[in-house]
Amino acid sequence: HGCKARPLILASCQISNMSSRGTKQKKGNVTNEQEEEDQPLQAVLIADSFNRRFFPISKDQPRALLPLANVAMIDYTLEFLTSTGVQETFVFCCWMSNKIKDHLLNSKWCRPTSPNVVHIITSDLYRSLGDVLRDVDAKTLVRNDFILVYGDVVSNIDVSQALQEHRHRRKVDKNISVMTMVFKESSPGHKSRCEEDDVIVAMDSKSKRVLHYQKTQGLKKLQFPMNIFQHGSDEFEIRHDLLDCHISICSPQVAELFTDNFDYQTRNDFVRGILVNEEILGNQIHLYVTNEGYGARVSNLQMYDSVSSDLVRRWVYPLTPEANFTDQRGQGCAHSRHNVYRGAGVSLGHGSQMEENVLIGRDTSIGANCHISNSIIGNYCTIGDNVVLDRAYIWNNVHISNKVKIHQSVVCDGVLVKEAVLLNKQCVLAYNVVIGPNMSLPEGTVVSMHHPEEEEDDDDDEFLSDDQVVGNSKDKTKQKAFNPAEVGSEGKGYIWKASLDEAEDEELAQCIWGLVLNPDPDSDSESEASDGSQDMGSRSVSPEMDDVKVFQLEVLGTLQRGEEENIGCDNLVLEINSLKYAYNITLKEVMQILTKVVLEYPFQQQGTKLSSSQYTVLLLPLLKKWSPVFKNYIKRAQDHLDCLSAVEELFLEQETHQTAMVKVLMNMYQLEILEEDAILKWFSAGATTDKSRQLRKNQGLQKFIQWLKEAEDESSEEGE
Amino acid sequence: MPGADKETDLSERIEAFLADLKRGGSGTGPLRGSGEMARETTALLRRITAQARWSSAGDLMEIIRNEGRRMTAAQPSETTVGNMVRRVLKIIREEYARSRGSSEETDQQESLHKLLTSGGLSEENFRQHFASLKANVIEAINELLTELEGTTDNIAMQALEHIHSNEVIMTIGRSRTVEAFLKDAARKRKFHVIVAECAPFCQGHEMATSLSKAGIETTVIADAAIFAVMSRVNKVIIGTQTVLANGGLRAVNGTHTLALAAKHHSTPLIVCAPMFKLSPQFPNEEEIFHKFVSPHEVLPFTEGEILSKVNVHCPVFDYVPPELITLFISNIGGNAPSYIYRLMSELYHPEDHEL
Repeated sequence: HGCKARPLILASCQISNMSSRGTKQKKGNVTNEQEEEDQPLQAVLIADSFNRRFFPISKDQPRALLPLANVAMIDYTLEFLTSTGVQETFVFCCWMSNKIKDHLLNSKWCRPTSPNVVHIITSDLYRSLGDVLRDVDAKTLVRNDFILVYGDVVSNIDVSQALQEHRHRRKVDKNISVMTMVFKESSPGHKSRCEEDDVIVAMDSKSKRVLHYQKTQGLKKLQFPMNIFQHGSDEFEIRHDLLDCHISICSPQVAELFTDNFDYQTRNDFVRGILVNEEILGNQIHLYVTNEGYGARVSNLQMYDSVSSDLVRRWVYPLTPEANFTDQRGQGCAHSRHNVYRGAGVSLGHGSQMEENVLIGRDTSIGANCHISNSIIGNYCTIGDNVVLDRAYIWNNVHISNKVKIHQSVVCDGVLVKEAVLLNKQCVLAYNVVIGPNMSLPEGTVVSMHHPEEEEDDDDDEFLSDDQVVGNSKDKTKQKAFNPAEVGSEGKGYIWKASLDEAEDEELAQCIWGLVLNPDPDSDSESEASDGSQDMGSRSVSPEMDDVKVFQLEVLGTLQRGEEENIGCDNLVLEINSLKYAYNITLKEVMQILTKVVLEYPFQQQGTKLSSSQYTVLLLPLLKKWSPVFKNYIKRAQDHLDCLSAVEELFLEQETHQTAMVKVLMNMYQLEILEEDAILKWFSAGATTDKSRQLRKNQGLQKFIQWLKEAEDESSEEGE
Repeated sequence: MPGADKETDLSERIEAFLADLKRGGSGTGPLRGSGEMARETTALLRRITAQARWSSAGDLMEIIRNEGRRMTAAQPSETTVGNMVRRVLKIIREEYARSRGSSEETDQQESLHKLLTSGGLSEENFRQHFASLKANVIEAINELLTELEGTTDNIAMQALEHIHSNEVIMTIGRSRTVEAFLKDAARKRKFHVIVAECAPFCQGHEMATSLSKAGIETTVIADAAIFAVMSRVNKVIIGTQTVLANGGLRAVNGTHTLALAAKHHSTPLIVCAPMFKLSPQFPNEEEIFHKFVSPHEVLPFTEGEILSKVNVHCPVFDYVPPELITLFISNIGGNAPSYIYRLMSELYHPEDHEL
């Protein structure tokens, strides 16, 4: 997609620093083992989420730099790593890597006195955790066990115990354990548990070995493979009371395994893959469960809300707001009773109340008779009189006028909220939006200066470089005017998807607040497909989808690969055959699915908005290319009829494209996939429902049939 | 360049110390005892004196004051650090005065006349360069370090004067000084110790285990039982985090309850506190007085749903007013709370109270 790999940037001074340390350490060591123990602890920090949970906000600022209790998220992660004794951290950035780099270079982590040497590695090519780890392996950055975290993890867990257990295990049975995941105990229903990350884990009580690992989101039924109970020790636990801290202690093999299995995208893929292939490769994954300390990942706005409130309530002590652990000048604030924190230069008007759990950044002024509770207000904000804030997260340089009410919402940098605006729950005002005056935003409204359509445009490539996006947005903002009904008479900004019906709106709100996942359907199917091909055995383990559905996705995946890599039809047939046996699919179903997949293929690639003519243009070469595949399956008369009914079914669904049907049939006839007898038989006998009768009245189709009949007559005449 | 190397090494050490301070005390307060903290601070200040670039006493004082400010800001509850900075500043003043040849300790008691006439005495006078000053200051800091090494022993030595046979002693939580004090007395006398567990951190349990290992008859009680048991107690001996300028205490949570119960029963309350815990701080400085840690110990994080519905706080310190205290035992002897201000003025120069 036109992405260019940027040169990787490693500050040279840091490298020299590192090497001098390395030599110092090597002198003292005698045996290899000691050397292993004494090597500096390394960490891989991924400063990109590879998803769009924070989307309209993260368009302007990468997630790792979003303020959490007035401190950038990545600072919490680095502080966590440093306090556990990490001496060398590799920060991998992709989206808006320049901003992250600037931030880090100005922070205390890049001062020469920092005990944790930070290397920044940027590339536009990273699309997932897997890509990063493959790069780690390619560059051989890690020499020993390392800690793997995301740039939005907030934690004060002391992982040294886990690290020790991990090293011990690796010493006892040579390199069998590849990963130790850190989990925290917390019962279901805990507000800091992220529903996306809910897991059921079966583990061996004694060795803490993970036997089964299953995400539970959206599942009503769970199945455990019997074999995990049969071999293994006498005691095991099945736990659901675990909060995934997204902290993993990895052996260097993890990076290698990601390279070997190029289809691993996430840690979830990895864990599942390792468990399925355990018997073959002999790798194991272990768990470290703690009930002390705090660890959570800010994976969506719901989590943003709960982690912020945990920070203010001092659950992450000593990472409290007043500790100023980033050593920024003027960031310090004073903590007083009821967890009220005030920065330097805060002014509070007459009669204003800061009830509890309130953090106010420096030089923020608050007017008279305000009522503030459970909120975080950033630096340099001005807040008018008679304002009510509850669970509001207000970032920097925000102006809030008189009589505004805000409930459980996020207000980003530079926003202007005019008089008497009411923000209901779960609203998001992204950067520089202006709202009001005198209006109320319904629950779950998301307002951004970026137009939602411009976002759809670059949907297929979400990792465009910054300048391209900026260029786009300028054009668009000129074209479209702000809707005063949505954002107020003086407002600036676009509502995201609010123009659609209520249900959609709801879905978006839930999506951004993390209640419901709405992943990109394309990427989803892709990952599913790869998932399946890599571990067919796991299907029995996780029956989220029925076999036919999976088979369909598999066939699609096979054909896609076939097209991309120009695989011969014989091989495609071979693959489809093996899939057929793997999922126990009948020949009839194979044919129907194959037809369906091929006919839907253009939609799959280009979206459903194709016109009929575009569709046929795309489809016909494909039909020609894959005709041997069809011929392989369509042999008997019944097969022809089945194939035709599949075609019919598809076009009944895609009513707008019925004109294309004739061309498809014509083509299939010419390619000798279908025989004329079959087509005629289907036309005369097949109609059972009103719709299919309707279909048969299509003019084009009737002409085609007519033509066929004539041709038959002619040929029969000729034959005589 | 060896000079630059030295300096980065020094600043690395300082940063590491600061980071330690910030992270320190994830649970019960300091991870290390305050004695150790005092020694570490002093050793670091000695290193700064030896390695930093300065030409006159004024420069050095400025450097130390700057670093001291950062150290105290890093963990305001750890007053020992600030106290040691003030002690070192005082040492520099004295050594400077001695180098100039002026009377050494006579200006301890400045007369009103002297105060009036010595208008701009302070900063400019420290500009003079003395070659021997560095060595002298380091020498004096070494003496301070030796003094710090011996504090616990010096306090423990006085134990026999205060603990008699068959007495019942009550204490709360765990204080290393009190532990040494009681163990020293146990070598000669037989007595009974009641330890209040000091929830929610329950350091009292550790204390009791350690005492009973030393052969002392020990009982652990819940904090709620302090008043009920007090009638049987002959003496209350406690440690503290800080001795404040007014003679009050900033001690572990629950100490105020204990002191009030002791007052009610007219039981003497003895505080074992080495001199380095004396701080020129007053109890009204609210913001740095309190320390709230993670509420995990009060209501575990694992609880689930309830956490979003309640506010949980976990303060660490209590204020004990001076009128509830009978006696302070420090490494230089026993003193009444009313005498603390005097000790304070001997330890620190009045200009250093605010760093």
